[in-house]
Amino acid sequence: MDGGVTYQRFPKLKIREMRDDVVKFELRETDASMANALRRVMIAEVPTVAIDLVEIEVNSTVLNDEFIAHRLGLIPLTSDRAMSMRFSRDCDACDGDGQCEFCSVEFHLRAKCLTDQTLDVTSKDLYSSDHTVVPVDFSDPNEPGEQRGIIIVKLRRGQELRLRAIARKGIGKDHAKWSPAATVTFMYEPMIRINEDLMENLSLEDKRSWVESSPTKVFDIDPVTQQVVVVDPEAYTYDDEVIKKAEAMGKPGLVEIEAKEDSFIFTVESTGAVKASQLVLNAIEILKQKLDAVRLSDDTVEADDQFGELGAHMRGG
Amino acid sequence: MNAPDRYERFVVPEGTKKVSYERDTKIINAASFTVEREDHTIGNILRMQLHRDPNVLFAGYKLPHPLQYKIIVRIHTASQSSPMQAYNQAINDLDKELDHLKNAFEIELAKHSREY
Ligand SMILES: [Zn+2]
Repeated sequence: MDGGVTYQRFPKLKIREMRDDVVKFELRETDASMANALRRVMIAEVPTVAIDLVEIEVNSTVLNDEFIAHRLGLIPLTSDRAMSMRFSRDCDACDGDGQCEFCSVEFHLRAKCLTDQTLDVTSKDLYSSDHTVVPVDFSDPNEPGEQRGIIIVKLRRGQELRLRAIARKGIGKDHAKWSPAATVTFMYEPMIRINEDLMENLSLEDKRSWVESSPTKVFDIDPVTQQVVVVDPEAYTYDDEVIKKAEAMGKPGLVEIEAKEDSFIFTVESTGAVKASQLVLNAIEILKQKLDAVRLSDDTVEADDQFGELGAHMRGG
Repeated sequence: MNAPDRYERFVVPEGTKKVSYERDTKIINAASFTVEREDHTIGNILRMQLHRDPNVLFAGYKLPHPLQYKIIVRIHTASQSSPMQAYNQAINDLDKELDHLKNAFEIELAKHSREY
């Protein structure tokens, strides 16, 4: 449109730690609105697949049908395909009945207890029609013998559960069962400056009681030099306790702590529906799509151009 | 029984425009954009990005009511620009920032995948 004018930012990013279910990263040189938009999208707008419709054939368990249907909905399913799937409500290939490859996945569960031993019905008893969408496996690769499915219900002798379930694509805004995020948080990186001149004048005992006034272990005393040092700035919870303590000791300004407004430390934990790193990438993609959707349509711009001419006529006479 | 459908929060009803634009009748270069089915996620990044534009004299958004699923973005610009121009500019800049972010994340991801 107009050549080259831009107020774009170029944020810096650094991954600190990464596992399948958790990623921690630093985001710098942007503002809280961007950090918060990413957080909000990860929690409420990145799609996953979850059970949304349950047809109970037999249920002689102690839990009622709707209770079981609710529990099934909350089981995380592997959702790497969700970004490219369709929402059942906009799928034109079907009526969302579970037979459609574009928008739904069918599950079956059959369990009956035939012994005096209590039978656990777990997410491992759910049989999927699609091998890419299955209940998340939490078993520890170091202990292959241990089965760790999510318990749905327990059966005693003679009790039975038989059902068909349909999983659909959805987002956390609709129902929390579709949220791929266990937790997404960010904190401002703290800048902690100790006034060394004031600190020098404190007795060791005063230093110690000041260091201990912080509820989290942010400061410590170097055993050799007996100087107060910052050991873990990120442990600071912006509780102001050390600042109040300094004032109470008659040493205001002993320490200055400010939140760097353009630096954020993110912790992203996934439910297992998608990898935590993929969750971040999907959130960026979804946010881009959202922005694209709020662009002005051509007819709006045209209508305004006409309005502008009309206005010019009226003003110009 | 008569609860509204949950998707009403994020699906734009048929026949409704996603974004509508209304010029201010009294102030030149001022206008309101009503964005249907959006909330603080979009409202706040748009507002903050608009503040980076020196031609923008005022930019703000409001979510009028938690059960009215829309936001109103109000922009007032200097005469060199216009609310529409500033609005488009903000979206383009945010879009490019997200492209950059995606790239940066993927580079970091590749680095970390090699380490493990
Ligand atoms: Zn379909």
